Amino acid sequence: MTPAVLHILLALSAQDRHGYGIMKQVESDSKGKVTMGPGTLYGSIRRMTDAGLIAESDRRIDPSLDDERRVYYRITALGQQALGAELQRYREVVAVARSLRPKTAGA
Amino acid sequence: MLLRLYPRPFRERFAHSMAQTFADLRRERPGRAFTLWIFLETLAGVVRERATHVGRLTMAGNVFRTVKYAALAVGALTVAGIVTVMLLARGTGEDIAGVVAPALLLTTLSVAAAVAAAVMQGRQRKRAGGDPRAD
Repeated sequence: MTPAVLHILLALSAQDRHGYGIMKQVESDSKGKVTMGPGTLYGSIRRMTDAGLIAESDRRIDPSLDDERRVYYRITALGQQALGAELQRYREVVAVARSLRPKTAGA
Repeated sequence: MLLRLYPRPFRERFAHSMAQTFADLRRERPGRAFTLWIFLETLAGVVRERATHVGRLTMAGNVFRTVKYAALAVGALTVAGIVTVMLLARGTGEDIAGVVAPALLLTTLSVAAAVAAAVMQGRQRKRAGGDPRAD
């Protein structure tokens, strides 16, 4: 799973968002360290919708404040499963790193 | 204008959303450096999508080409078999119709498959190269 895909799944795990909303959420989640441009964002969205990780959503957060034609995306069950598996993998990597740290610190 | 460089299927799905995102970015984050970065990042996206698209087309084209040559090879081998059987049976008076008839049917089917694959390959090529915006 690429970092872009992980960030998009994370951004959509809380609520449905449109493209620019995803960009802003990714930036906020990463505390400004990851800025995703439209090229990466929509390329990833294409691959993720094709893979069934995300899908277009019918829900609008606030239609009165928003352009009706805006496309919102939601995470699918498969996407949630993939996100859960990836986060678990990260936890395991961190656990291994923590278990190695005293040795490397002493080396 | 940059959006027009994307492959057509991508454009049809995302052009409106991307245009909206560009408008949001222009409104909320003005500045030349950021605009230049967005331009270059999107250009890189165009290259990636083009490469993916070409890869897909090439793969589909390869399938038709493989089918075409496989069918031609089967047809040619069957014809060679028929000729061999006819030569071996010449003068012996042996009835070879039971072998030749199914072999001829196989040859006909192979040629039909080769022609169909060639037509599909041609259409694929036309779609990819006929209209510069058609892909």
